[in-house]
Amino acid sequence: MAEVEKQLPLSPQDGGRSECGEEPPDGGAAVGIAEPAPPSTGSPVTEELAEDTKKKIDVLLKAVGDTPIMKTKKWTVERTRTIQGLVDFIKKFLKLVASEQLFIYVNQSFAPSPDQEVGTLYECFGSDGKLVLHYCKSQAWG
Amino acid sequence: MSLNLDTEDDFYLEENRFKQCCAEFIKHSQQIGDGWEWKSIKDFPDGYMSKTHFQMKNGNAPSIFKDSTKESDEQTLTHVEEALDDSEVAGICATSEVIRYEYHVLYSSSYEVPVLYFRACFLDGRPLTLDEIWEGVHECYRARLLEGPWDTITQQEHPLLGQPFFVLHPCRTNEFMAPVLANSQRENRNINYITSWLSIVGPVVGLKLPLSYAKLVSEQNTKTD
Repeated sequence: MAEVEKQLPLSPQDGGRSECGEEPPDGGAAVGIAEPAPPSTGSPVTEELAEDTKKKIDVLLKAVGDTPIMKTKKWTVERTRTIQGLVDFIKKFLKLVASEQLFIYVNQSFAPSPDQEVGTLYECFGSDGKLVLHYCKSQAWG
Repeated sequence: MSLNLDTEDDFYLEENRFKQCCAEFIKHSQQIGDGWEWKSIKDFPDGYMSKTHFQMKNGNAPSIFKDSTKESDEQTLTHVEEALDDSEVAGICATSEVIRYEYHVLYSSSYEVPVLYFRACFLDGRPLTLDEIWEGVHECYRARLLEGPWDTITQQEHPLLGQPFFVLHPCRTNEFMAPVLANSQRENRNINYITSWLSIVGPVVGLKLPLSYAKLVSEQNTKTD
């Protein structure tokens, strides 16, 4: 799943949205689970881009431990983006070297497998219209 | 059940706690049919968690040591969703294409952490070579492995069975578990050490945990809140 990303694969929510003309979903919607109800009202950003709410979900990234905190924490991510894609993105954003591992957790404790789609995670663990993911860097093995 | 810790930095897993976590984990595994079992050794107080499953190898997969600069999207292995009997598997596809993976979770008293042992063989009994094992490693972990494969996956004698297994070295386990545990302690959440640990190390060697294990933790937290 290593796409050559010329643009940011994620759209930041802070400081205005930019429609990044992202590549279409890789194919296949999230597996098996019914679509969630549309996000609750009161979020002007979401209402603005109503047609995108089906394709993208809101993600809040939180750092764990000594991991650098990302300046932008709120992102809009395509449902079909995988954990691996998100890991690659955060690693580039934080300028981590290849030997540093980055782990992403749901529920602050469980690391989904790298090819898990964020859309599925949102449906299982999302609340208040967003998916909270914790990330942590580590030199895991050696 | 909260962890009984001496210091904030001390998140080692005590052996009884290891067994408790495994028991909870296996209970959930049984509920969802994920195939984990507890195995005891006669005359030994020790035991371990074990799971066997089958994967199919897609054609000729390129070795990760060839041309790592070339981006390859090709999945070398396809997961078979459910555990299959040997006879069922042989009936579906050529014997040489199916790999039988066996994963064991043991406790290491010297490191005070769980350790993942695994081995793999084709249905005709031929064991996979270390190279073939590495081909099954998920792409996102390959960069690290390429820099020091011998540091990460080694071949050792299984402490209880005495047979050669591959092992994911445990010496850094505490390092990557500590932030997760510290965080959960701060947030006053109960987490299952084994579930968290296995969710992290499993994918490195082709072992995925269904998401429902994570939801289990969540439900427990809801009940205690």
